[in-house]
Amino acid sequence: MGNPWIAIGALALVGLLIPVGMMVISKLLRPSVPEQGKRSTYESGEVPTGDTRIRFNIQYYMVALLFVIFDIETVLIFPWTVIYRSALENGVGLTRVLAPMLVFVGILVVGLGWAWRNGAVKWVRSPRAEKRKDAR
Amino acid sequence: MIPLQTSNTLPDWAALAPAIILAVTALALFLIDSIDPNDESPSMLAGVATLGSVLAMVVTGWYLVAGTGMPRTGGAIELFSGQLVVDGMSLFFTFIFTSVTALVCVASYDYLSGRPNQAEYYALVLLAATGMSVMASANSLATAFVALELSSLPSYGLVAYLKNDRGSVEAGLKYFLIGAVSSAVLAYGISLVYASAGVLELAAIAEALGAGIDNTGVLGVGILMVAGGFAFKTASVPFHFWAPEAYEGAPAPVSGFLSSASKAAGFVLAFRVFVTAFPLDVVAGTIDWALAFTVLALVTMTLGNFAAATQDKVKRMLAYSSIGHAGYALIGIAVLTGTADQSYALGASMLHLFVYGFMNTGAFLFVALVEYWGVGRTFEDYNGLAKQAPVACFAMTIFLFSLAGLPIGGGALSKWALLSATASAATLSAYLLAAALIVNSALSLFYYSRVVKAMWIEDPAGDFEVSSYPTGLYAAVVGAAIVTFLLLPAFGVVSGTAFDAAAALF
Repeated sequence: MGNPWIAIGALALVGLLIPVGMMVISKLLRPSVPEQGKRSTYESGEVPTGDTRIRFNIQYYMVALLFVIFDIETVLIFPWTVIYRSALENGVGLTRVLAPMLVFVGILVVGLGWAWRNGAVKWVRSPRAEKRKDAR
Repeated sequence: MIPLQTSNTLPDWAALAPAIILAVTALALFLIDSIDPNDESPSMLAGVATLGSVLAMVVTGWYLVAGTGMPRTGGAIELFSGQLVVDGMSLFFTFIFTSVTALVCVASYDYLSGRPNQAEYYALVLLAATGMSVMASANSLATAFVALELSSLPSYGLVAYLKNDRGSVEAGLKYFLIGAVSSAVLAYGISLVYASAGVLELAAIAEALGAGIDNTGVLGVGILMVAGGFAFKTASVPFHFWAPEAYEGAPAPVSGFLSSASKAAGFVLAFRVFVTAFPLDVVAGTIDWALAFTVLALVTMTLGNFAAATQDKVKRMLAYSSIGHAGYALIGIAVLTGTADQSYALGASMLHLFVYGFMNTGAFLFVALVEYWGVGRTFEDYNGLAKQAPVACFAMTIFLFSLAGLPIGGGALSKWALLSATASAATLSAYLLAAALIVNSALSLFYYSRVVKAMWIEDPAGDFEVSSYPTGLYAAVVGAAIVTFLLLPAFGVVSGTAFDAAAALF
């Protein structure tokens, strides 16, 4: 056997040659008909409104951040629940099994409580939308 | 399990008490803010933050005196299966972090008066300090990375604390982007080291490398990338360019915090990782990192000092001088070759960082005081300040001359220790480092004196009146000045601890 890196090099080469080859061949074969409609973002699809630089409401970011925190919390709690019962049955003390997780969740609860009190989970109302609803 | 022999009633985990106290204080600040988010009670918040950091400092000092984790009481205390270790070096550096945190919290009381979100500010300072003290104890590359992130993420927020100030926000963004890149470099370096050694614990890495590995090239690249990640935290070349921007844009107490405590945290990690995990005699065939650090130290101190000499703003000058001092501290790790007295060299670096923690924080807090008064930022704006505030200007003079290495503060002795460390190494590169240290110190005297000259000799440009003398800022500045000065006669007390702590690492 030669150097195993040769296989990886060959893979990279093939991976490069196939797309480039397809593009070159189609360039050689196809007729060239320049037209305005071909330049749109979705050809024969929706006509775009506005450009890509839209401002998203910061609240989406807040919600995403809170989601990530709880997501990771779940990931860390899950293995703990799996070993919890067998650890107890094998004679590990209740405080040693339970206390670290309570501390962990407690720290997160302090953070959540703080975020809640400071309005991170409160959805901001748009005054303009409220007015429109009232007028209707 | 090694009992904590200072007092047999304390369990092992109590060795982490400083970090735990800092974390609990941060959580307490969040609780206070949750109970009443709209009520800004600065004295309560600053009081709790200061109390927590002072308590952590006192506990650390007690451990240092009692010898927790040191050879005389049974050696380093390993926690969580060796993921964290508490020994002389970690306690020595935790003392630096907690004392700088205490100074910054006291000074912030006045600096922040009337600004919103103060609870978050103090909580972030304490969380960053927690991360730093865990960095000092990190004994595996995984905990090292997590601790480094714990100290970095609050720092990004702190730099951008003045969120309506363009400079502060820009500084925060730049710091964050460069921090993200260097974190990626560090994580990739750790993965390469893991690929070759198969373990993450520092002592186990040295063991695995000593037993012989196949792909030395991967290991070499990994070690270099790990060094790059630490260079970001210590603000040394090649990841130094965030420092002037971040220090200038950030609130001045935060600049002091980052340039002293955060830098020291980067160094303690670098010391422990390179001495414990990559001993030179084990990785010498792969990469001679002492040579790499020699080059980095030379470039860092020269670049920092030459750039500082050309600045016209005091805060930016201090920022570049802080890069220069990172270069001085790198000497301790650059001369760790066979001939040098290794624990002496490392101890000298630790001492320099210790003294630097007080004199540099003090200098930045003086800048905070000047910003508080609303005086401008350039050297000319400092003209004649001494006529109005002689006490603060006297303290600033002590800081600056001590930074330059004049025997008016501990800075002279710590530079002398670095110089004699290079002399004990007695190699060409060590002599080169010594020469660079002397030349750069002489150069630094020039630009530090410009501030002193402006304060004491020049006449004030306008008719500026200092309206108030804020107690908190004054207490912090004068306190730092007293410690800087006292470190001159009391240098022996600290140096004994430092050299013992460094010797325990080898």
